[in-house]
Amino acid sequence: MIQIPCPYCGLRNANEFASTGEVKPRPDVATATPAVWRAYLYDHRNPEGLVTEGWYHRAGCRKFLVVERHTQTNEIRSARPAGVAS
Amino acid sequence: MPEATTQAATTAPGDARPRLPGGAPLARSPIRQPPPTAVVGHWEVSRRHTNAALRLADLSALAKVVLRAAPESEAAGALGVPFGAARRVNVVATRPAPQLVVGSGPDEWTVLGPVDTQAEIDAALLALPGEHPRSVVDLTHGRALVRLTGAAAPAVLATICAIDLRERSTPNGKALRSLVAGVATDLVRDDVEGTCSYLLHVERSSGQYLYDTLMEAGATAGIDAAGLPEKEI
Ligand SMILES: [Zn+2]
Repeated sequence: MIQIPCPYCGLRNANEFASTGEVKPRPDVATATPAVWRAYLYDHRNPEGLVTEGWYHRAGCRKFLVVERHTQTNEIRSARPAGVAS
Repeated sequence: MPEATTQAATTAPGDARPRLPGGAPLARSPIRQPPPTAVVGHWEVSRRHTNAALRLADLSALAKVVLRAAPESEAAGALGVPFGAARRVNVVATRPAPQLVVGSGPDEWTVLGPVDTQAEIDAALLALPGEHPRSVVDLTHGRALVRLTGAAAPAVLATICAIDLRERSTPNGKALRSLVAGVATDLVRDDVEGTCSYLLHVERSSGQYLYDTLMEAGATAGIDAAGLPEKEI
């Protein structure tokens, strides 16, 4: 079971959240080629180790969070509101 | 405050929707009303009486209005209810009793008031001070609202909700949103005359499911269906 410490709601079961995937820089709209957009949307690193992911607390505060999670142990290193610098 | 009456609703030829004698549509909860029923304001509600120590009442007829605003805005300051808390505040100054203001999200407040008062609450929220953008939405007919009351309520609720309901975590006046029986639910601990009580607030389409699930969860604790309590009208 994964538990996510929501900065608004406290520690909650991950089934209250929707994962929005690894956080990565969005390509520049003016210059990105279709291949770059495709890679942004569909190519994921899926590493073993710490990843920075987006999670949406759909059954709680309905806020987007940025969560550091270890993909092997599911240890949550940090969770903060999206759009707020770490 | 609307009087409870026993006036019958009628239907017009070619229109199956029940109407009140004045022609206004009769509002009905998504939850089946245990008999006897009566018309209160625009609503058909149960007036069932029970002496059971653990009871579940459908409060869907109450006015429900949601305010979205920045937490640092003047409007939010005027309400004075932080996220995670629920307090009675005189939002509608002309009403004798205050309304229940629920800090239901970091930038969201749900105001619950007596039957048919949504327009007054709506106007009062729009008239709150400050220039910050805000949105006020009447959810009265879009949500289901039930009240579970009794000393056994925390134990019953704990069987279908993962939240720590003990006194130190979820005392009277605490508000939160979480999954209850798999449904995203606004949960408010709002004790009634010293007896533990919870308000549970869900999308209208989940109302009957939540009601049935709570009745089933409370069966061994002797739960009984109650009508809309007089003091809530
Ligand atoms: Zn949250």
